[in-house]
Amino acid sequence: MEDRMASGSGERQHASVASQFFTGAEDAAIDMTTSEKVVDLLNQAALMSTDDKLTALKQVQELIINKDPSLLDNFLDEMIAFQTDKSIEVRKFVIGFIEEACKRDNELLLKLIANLNMLLKDESVNVVKKAILTLTQLYKVALQWLVRSKSVSEMQEACWDMVTHMKEEVLALLDSDNDGVRTHAIKFTESLIITLSPRTPDSDIPKKQEGDISLDRLPKDHSYIRYDVLSEEGKSALEKLLKFMVHPAISSINLTTALGSLATLARQRPMFMSEVVQAYETLHANLPPTLAKSQVSSVRKNLKLHLVSVLRHPSSMDFHSQISTLLLDLGMAQGDIARCVPAAAQPRKRPRHEPYSEGKRIKIEPTLIEDDEDKEEPAPVVVPKPSSTTGTQSAIDLTAEFLLPLLTSENVANLVLISMVYLPEAMPASFQATYTPVESAGTDAQIKHLARLMATQMTAAGLGPGLEQCRARDEEGKEGESEASMEESGSKDPIIIRKVSAVSLGQAISVVGAYKSPTAEETPQAKKLPEPIMPSTQPKAPGSSGRKKVFRLGDVVQPLSDSQLEKLTNMAVKRILQAEKAIARSGMSHVRVKLLARLMTQFEGAMKDDMLHFILEDMRARSDLAFSLLYQEYNQYLSQLPSGSLDSYEHCLFALLSGLQERPEQRDGLFTKLVLEAPLITESALEVIRRYCEDESRVYLGMTTLKELILKRPSRQFQYLHVLLDLSSHEKEKVRSTALTFIKRLYEKDHLREYIEKFALNYMQLLVHPNPPSLLFGVGDDTEVASPWTEETVRQCLYLYLSLLPLNHRLVHELAAVYTEAIADIKRSVLRVIEQPIRGMGMNSPDLLLLVENCPKGAETLVTRCLHILTDKVPPSPDLVERVRDLYHKRVPDVRFLIPVINGLEKKEVIQALPKLIKLNPIVVKEVFNRLLGTQHSEGSSSMSPLTPGELLISLHNIDSTKCDMKSIIKATNLCFGEKNVYTSEVLAVVMQQLMDQNSLPMLFMRTVIQSLTMYPRLGGFVMNILTRLIPKQVWKYPKVWEGFVKCCQRTKPQSYSVLLQLPPAQLASVFERCPEMREPLLQHVRSFTPHQQAHIPSSIIAILEATNRMQEPQPQPESDHAEAVEEREMHLQEVVMPAAQAETPAPTVFAAHEPAPQLGLSRREEEEEPMEEGEADPECLEVADEATTQIKALEAEKGPNDIPQEKAEEPMEQTFTESADASDQPQDGLEDRIAEPEPAAAAADTEISREEEN
Amino acid sequence: MPSQPLRVAVVCSSNQNRSMEAHNILSKRGFDVRSFGTGTHVKLPGPAPDKPNVYDFKTTYEQMYSDLVRKDKELYTQNGILHMLERNKRIKPRPERFQSCKEQFDLVITCEERVYDQVVEDLNSREQETFQPVHVINVDIQDNHEEATLGAFLICELCQCIQHTDDMENEIDELLQEFEDKSSRPFLHTVCFY
Repeated sequence: MEDRMASGSGERQHASVASQFFTGAEDAAIDMTTSEKVVDLLNQAALMSTDDKLTALKQVQELIINKDPSLLDNFLDEMIAFQTDKSIEVRKFVIGFIEEACKRDNELLLKLIANLNMLLKDESVNVVKKAILTLTQLYKVALQWLVRSKSVSEMQEACWDMVTHMKEEVLALLDSDNDGVRTHAIKFTESLIITLSPRTPDSDIPKKQEGDISLDRLPKDHSYIRYDVLSEEGKSALEKLLKFMVHPAISSINLTTALGSLATLARQRPMFMSEVVQAYETLHANLPPTLAKSQVSSVRKNLKLHLVSVLRHPSSMDFHSQISTLLLDLGMAQGDIARCVPAAAQPRKRPRHEPYSEGKRIKIEPTLIEDDEDKEEPAPVVVPKPSSTTGTQSAIDLTAEFLLPLLTSENVANLVLISMVYLPEAMPASFQATYTPVESAGTDAQIKHLARLMATQMTAAGLGPGLEQCRARDEEGKEGESEASMEESGSKDPIIIRKVSAVSLGQAISVVGAYKSPTAEETPQAKKLPEPIMPSTQPKAPGSSGRKKVFRLGDVVQPLSDSQLEKLTNMAVKRILQAEKAIARSGMSHVRVKLLARLMTQFEGAMKDDMLHFILEDMRARSDLAFSLLYQEYNQYLSQLPSGSLDSYEHCLFALLSGLQERPEQRDGLFTKLVLEAPLITESALEVIRRYCEDESRVYLGMTTLKELILKRPSRQFQYLHVLLDLSSHEKEKVRSTALTFIKRLYEKDHLREYIEKFALNYMQLLVHPNPPSLLFGVGDDTEVASPWTEETVRQCLYLYLSLLPLNHRLVHELAAVYTEAIADIKRSVLRVIEQPIRGMGMNSPDLLLLVENCPKGAETLVTRCLHILTDKVPPSPDLVERVRDLYHKRVPDVRFLIPVINGLEKKEVIQALPKLIKLNPIVVKEVFNRLLGTQHSEGSSSMSPLTPGELLISLHNIDSTKCDMKSIIKATNLCFGEKNVYTSEVLAVVMQQLMDQNSLPMLFMRTVIQSLTMYPRLGGFVMNILTRLIPKQVWKYPKVWEGFVKCCQRTKPQSYSVLLQLPPAQLASVFERCPEMREPLLQHVRSFTPHQQAHIPSSIIAILEATNRMQEPQPQPESDHAEAVEEREMHLQEVVMPAAQAETPAPTVFAAHEPAPQLGLSRREEEEEPMEEGEADPECLEVADEATTQIKALEAEKGPNDIPQEKAEEPMEQTFTESADASDQPQDGLEDRIAEPEPAAAAADTEISREEEN
Repeated sequence: MPSQPLRVAVVCSSNQNRSMEAHNILSKRGFDVRSFGTGTHVKLPGPAPDKPNVYDFKTTYEQMYSDLVRKDKELYTQNGILHMLERNKRIKPRPERFQSCKEQFDLVITCEERVYDQVVEDLNSREQETFQPVHVINVDIQDNHEEATLGAFLICELCQCIQHTDDMENEIDELLQEFEDKSSRPFLHTVCFY
């Protein structure tokens, strides 16, 4: 290159090198023979660089072909050996050499045709192209050679077969992916058609081809060459060429080439004129949409050029109208067109029109011509026109005629409106380039033109009456012809038609949405190489198969890169996905669904996910697809069963389920449907179901689904059941309770019962562990095993068990067994949670009774709790009472067992137990009393009490003080007095009366009297009566009672004066000793008597009344002390019972003077503390009671204020336990105090639990 | 890259300005190039638009030069004609007519549409023999010195790109589209056969 630049023209350079070589060679071998020269040159060439080698070889060629052809045979092999040279140019040269050699000596075809065949498959496109060019020449040479031969040898036959074979290969190269190769193939086809068609008198014959063979020169009786076969091959080649031309993505160069070829054909073989003109017409109306604007100009220019050249040919006469129309459309002036019409034809054909062909009539001209020709000319058509030609030609005519009357203004307007819809958004380049405003719109000429245009389109698209008629005609005509040609034309036509229609309709209807960017993606492939870097090995491949094919997809498509492939696949699938609505409208949804499902199972990864995502976007509408996909996956799995993996299926199911699970609630039951219809529920799917169940808003639906699974999929029902069971201890209350509800339902099924029970018991068994097993914290939760039991964890173990308990009472024994082994914390929790189930079981449960009867060691508290729960609202049944009594007497003599059933005991038993009972914690005592007094249960049940309130109070008074300390008894009686509604004045009166009637007065008698009086002042009269009656009973002999007596008198003055006056003098004195301040008022009282009355009073009494203070002194100290104590106590009582009565309290200063001795004071203080303590404890208790009362009052407004204490609130009652546990004198073991922490038993609503737990 | 340099022909009307400018540049870049005119005569601007200097194709550049120097040296120096002829005679002795040239080319580049039409018509009117294809490309260039220079560079660039393609025929279409976009002028393009 460099030196060429320096020396100027490359051509000159070339020449100089060549000449140099020549001179050099001649110098060296001046005396050599030609043969020696050739040998020398060949030897040199083998070692030379490409350029020099070419020069040398060209020299050899010159020598052996032109100078001394006798050497040709000798050096043929040496020359041909260069066909494997690595230089493309050398290989091309070899091809040229083959051509020259064969032309020189046809016999060489036998040897060289195979080499050419090899080179036709060369990896270099340029070599292939050169080979095509050479074959173009040699085909004719070979044919002529064979025809000339008198007898055809076998080798000749084989040679011709190979040529035929190569011809087919080159024809197939029309579908090559290389533009240049296609161009060469077109030219080959052109030449082939010319050769294989007859030369007619009107044929243009290029001078140089004068001697070329053509069909008409073939002998019809040749031994090997078959005229008819070759004739058919020629026609088929023409069809191929025509088909090639209408390819919508044809490149502009190919199109140009083809246009030129058609023109050549038309001129050299006028018999094809109609096909050519029709092809031009079709092309003009359907320029490939892929052409760029400038390409359109180029093509139109070409078309114009070729049309003119055709027009010039005399045989185009019949088509002048069409050609003129086209030329006019292409912008050629009418005058210019006219000038192109051959002079010979003009005067003959168109004499009449001469005057019109000028001036303003131009526009109408073509139609006039057309009219003329349509009417006058069909008969004298050039002779050898094949029938098919006439057929198609007139098809357009017929259709045009048919259309013409239909093109009314209205119809045309409608057509315009309809086609508006299909207009592309951007104006196609071809349109833009060709558009010229229609000037003569609406004229007859223009309408005819339009009709013809439409007819051309319709015929091309396989529509219209003309075509049908022609077909019918053709069929008839063709019947006799060979089947092969029938098939061929039959199989080809639709392809052409489809392609054309794809172009014309492509804008409107896209095939599965592929229209998106046809120009961008499709064009480059058909038009030219998409990848310019393509190695030259590629284009060779297509030719190799060599079989005759209509269309070979493999030749026009490139292998896609993986990423492209994936992208395209994705896009294709996406389009199918997105075509949902369009397909639904066409009623083919099921096909789409099936297709997608099948496709999808073959792809992995993103596409699958995309599809699943797509389904989930509207699961309701796309459930078909979902199921179809799922089944397909499963099917896939089954089909590869021994080794198949479920992964894909599982992934699909999992994705669908989780998709549904994560989506906001849908009430359409799709989830359930999917679960129930899935062929197999995998682990992960089960996990999703579980998650679904854990969603509070969907728990019911989820568990219904799960239940259905359990019931309907027996093979794995326990696996599913296990999930449900697991959920029964879920932390969310709603989940748990729903799960429990479902389990209870399933529990009724016999075959599931055992499993559920076992699960529940296993779970409960966990409680015997010192620490909660990690199982309870869920898998993966790394809570250290050493964490202590909490209320939560304990409950977790029990939920299921407890809900089953009411259904199967036998289970209660298991609880007892676990309970005895469990640690204290757990026991406490257990006691809290069993209330509901135990209540549910009821006291008539044989198993519960059995439990009470057996009362395993260590389960006492449990049994007690059960008893309490059972009798909380309902009086105990005799059965229960019997068991408890039995237990109490024979095994565990804990009086507390009796409390729950106390109302079921006999009166005697109660009285017997009373001392023990009242020694319990005050609150427990209060509960006992509540039960006995019927203030605990709702009204009506009080009748069950073995003791009447009166009897109870009397029993209390009669308790042997050795069995029970006075303090407890006083507390107990105070409890009685606290129940004002029970202990009415009447009841108290009866009690007092009965106590009076006893042989000995109980120590607390007077206390009770005073208290009664305080509560019911209107009992005053009755009390006076009591006091009076005590005198004969020598009340002063009972120190405590006497004390009280005095106190009572003091408080009831002045009514008590008359009683006091009835006392014997000594006792009266004793009274005054205790209360000196009584004396004066009494004296005054007596003095206020009438004299007559005074007379009734003994003087001794008067004396005492009038006695001085001195008389008091002999009184014993202890007694005085005692009196004070009593008074003190009473004061407290007053404070306690009726704090408002303070005014009556005597001034304490009076006693201050009589402060006792220190040691006595101590003892006194001891005694004093009792009431103090009592006074402090009681209000507390009452207060609490009151609180509860008011609560209850609020709740049960209908109850009168008198009934207030009857219904005991839970809390205070529970406190009973606490406090009784605190009491140090309880004999129970350490567990006792564990019975703690209240739990409201009435309603076990969990909300309350939580509230309470907060507290 | 093909081992053979492209055989290029550059054609304008008179084989004076545009084709010679391109010929000059292309040959400097090592192309195997020839230049032609398609007109029946060689026309050079005269003292007035309606009075061109007309020569036949046999006249050498040298003769034209002498003729013009003789007629009006100042005018033809000023309008650059003499300078152009000076350059031309360094390249080749005389203008050549495309229609008269029987040499085969790979690529023919024309400088205006009319020339393109003439070239294509000529090529098509020849009898086909070898079917060796020749690509004809029209690059519109106004007939003045500045445009001729610019156009020559464009042609040169185009030729270089075509020369560098692996498979010229397969890629030329695309290449031309690119060039159209780049130079924003349309190229007519066709293929003819010898």
